[in-house]
Amino acid sequence: MKFGHEYEKVLASEGFPKQWLVSAIDYKFLKKCIKKIHKELQELGLDAQTIQKLSDPWDKSRNGAAKSAAERHDFYSAQPPHLDAIPEEFTPQLRVLVDRRTYTPLDATLAPETRQNLQKLAQHEVITAEHQAHWQQHARDEAPEQSQDPELHQEPTLSEPIDPKNVTWLQIPLASAKYFFDLLGPKLQELEQLREAETLKLEEEILELGARVEDVVEPVREGFEAKRRVSYRDLYFWREMFRLYLENPVFYSHHEAKPGALTFAEAKTRLQAYDQQLRQTGLLGKMKTPAARIAAKQFLDLNVSILKIIGFQEMNAEAMRKILKKFDKRTHLEGQHFLADLRTKYPALLPPTATTTGAAPATTVNTKPCCTIGFANTIAHDMYSEITSKILGIVPQLDDWSCPVCLEMAWRPVSLGCCRALYCIRCIIRLQDDETKRCPACNAETVLKADARNLNFEAMDFLEKYFPLETKKRQKENETASLAREYGEEFVKPGCAVM
Amino acid sequence: MAAPLPKRIIKETERLQSEPVPGISAEPHEENARYFDVKVDGPSGSCYEGGEFQLELFLPDDYPMCPPRIRFLTKIYHPNIDRLGRICLDVLKNNWSPALQIRTILLSIQALLGAPNPEDPLNEAVAKQWKENQPEAIKTAREWTTLYAQKK
Repeated sequence: MKFGHEYEKVLASEGFPKQWLVSAIDYKFLKKCIKKIHKELQELGLDAQTIQKLSDPWDKSRNGAAKSAAERHDFYSAQPPHLDAIPEEFTPQLRVLVDRRTYTPLDATLAPETRQNLQKLAQHEVITAEHQAHWQQHARDEAPEQSQDPELHQEPTLSEPIDPKNVTWLQIPLASAKYFFDLLGPKLQELEQLREAETLKLEEEILELGARVEDVVEPVREGFEAKRRVSYRDLYFWREMFRLYLENPVFYSHHEAKPGALTFAEAKTRLQAYDQQLRQTGLLGKMKTPAARIAAKQFLDLNVSILKIIGFQEMNAEAMRKILKKFDKRTHLEGQHFLADLRTKYPALLPPTATTTGAAPATTVNTKPCCTIGFANTIAHDMYSEITSKILGIVPQLDDWSCPVCLEMAWRPVSLGCCRALYCIRCIIRLQDDETKRCPACNAETVLKADARNLNFEAMDFLEKYFPLETKKRQKENETASLAREYGEEFVKPGCAVM
Repeated sequence: MAAPLPKRIIKETERLQSEPVPGISAEPHEENARYFDVKVDGPSGSCYEGGEFQLELFLPDDYPMCPPRIRFLTKIYHPNIDRLGRICLDVLKNNWSPALQIRTILLSIQALLGAPNPEDPLNEAVAKQWKENQPEAIKTAREWTTLYAQKK
C-alpha cells in the first residue's frame, strides 16, 4: 500500500511529460490483478500455502535430500515449457501431477475440497498423451519443463512407489495470471521504446549544444577578433565550469571506491550541488557573450532533463520489482521464470547481477528478482559518455595536457617518440642532467637521445591557443629555471632582480 | 622548509585526499608536507588480510627525480620486508620512474603484501622459512598480523 501511494505521488509531482505517464507501470491496477489471481486460485482451493506445500515439503518428507532440485517439481510445476525458445507464448499454467484413473493429485497433503476441485478440472481435460516407450531413459535427463507436448504431458518420475503409467500432468490454466503478464509485458516494451526515443532526443540535443559550445569557446585568432565578439576569457569560464562537472560527475561515478551509475536521488543532490557551485563562483554571470550564457543555461537544462528520465525509469523499475515480488508472495506461482524471460529480452532492464538462476531452475519462490535500477542504469551511462565526449571534450582540460613528471602543463612539449606521453622541455632537461636513460612513462631508453627535433610543435600550437594564460606563466617559470640551471640557485633567489 | 613545495607534491596530496585509493590512506604532516603517515590494509585473500599496516613516507628534495623513501612502522612477517621495515621493491630503487606517484607506489606495496617474493629476499630468515615450509610461514604471518597490525 505504502509504495503504491508513494509511486503515484512521485509520478504526479515530478513534472514528467504526459506521454511518459502513459507508459508508466500501472501499479495499482496490477495489484488488483494479483488480488484476482489470488481469488481465482482460492476458488480452486489452491491458496498460497497449498501451492507452497505442493511445491515444497512433499519430496523432503519422502525422499529426503537425495533428490535434485530439478526433480523436486515432479508433482507440481508452475512453469510453462520452453520459455526461452517461445517467449511469446507464455501462459502461466499450474501443472499438478495426478493419478490417471482417479484424477486424485499425488500429493497427500492437499485438503479434500482441493482434491475435488482438481478432479473436476481433470475430467474436462482431453487426454491425448501417449505413453513414452522409454520413459525411464528420459527420466534422468529430462526436467519436467522439457516436454514436447506442452498441453498434456506424461511425466516419468524416479520415485518407485508411483506407477508412471497411472500418472499424468494436469494443466490448470490461470486466466488472471495470464492477464497480469499480458499487461506487464507490453508495458516494459513501451518503457524500452520510451528509453530509446528519449535517448535519441537527448543525443541530438547534446550534439546541438556541442556545436554551440564550440562556437562560444573558440579562442581568439588573428583577424577573427573584430568579427567575433568572443573573449578568450570565456574559454576559461567554460573550462572551469566543465572541470567542476568532471570533478563530480552528476550521473556516473568514476570513483575508485564506488564506480558505476548513480541512483536518481544521488544524481539529484549532485546536480543541485553543481548548480550551487556555479552560483557561488558566479561563473554564469561572468560569461561575456549572450550566446555563452544561453549555451550555459542549455547545458544545465540538458542535465535536468536527463535526470528526469532517469528518475522516471527508476521509479518504474522499482514498481516492477515490487509488483513481481508481490505476485510471488501472494500466489507462489514463480514469476521469476517470466522475469528470466524478460531479462533475455531486455538485458538493459535487468542487469544480470545477483540472481543468475541458471544453476537451479526450480529454486523456491523467495529468490529475489533483481532489477536494481532498470533502464535508468543504461541511460545514466550512455548520457554521461555522450556528454563527456561530445560537449566536455570541446574544451580541453589542463589535466589532459600535463607533463607526467611535474604534473603541470607541458610547456614546449616534447615527444620522445617511444610513447604518446608529452613532457615539458624543462623536465626532459632535468632528466638528462640526472642521466636518466629511460622514458618515465614507458621505460624505453629514449631520454638521452632527445634534442630539439623532439619538440612537438603541433601540440605547442594547440596549447598556446587553448591555454594562453598557462603558457605565459610556464614560460616565465622556464626562464627562471633555465637561469638557475646555468648560474646556480642563488642567482635567481627572490630579491635579486635581474634586469 | 624554506623552499616552496613543488606543484607536483601539492597536486598529488590533493588528489590522494579527494580520491583516496580504497584500502590505502596517506596523510601529510602539518609541519612538513613532504612527510606522510600512511596506512595500508592487508589485501583480502592474503595472510595479511584484516591487518592495517602503518608506514612512513618521505619525499626527498629531488622528488620526483628520485623515489620516495618509505618504510613499514608496523611489525610484519614478510620475506621482502626487513626488521627495520625497509622494503625490497624494484620500483622503489632501480625501476623508479618520475611518472610514478605516491598512490602508485602504495598500490605496489599493497600488491607486494599479496604476493611475497622469497626469491629476492631482504629478510633471509623469513625467506628461508617461506621457501622451506610455506604453510608454517603463512601461519606466522597471520599471527603477526593479528598481534601487531590490529586496527585502532
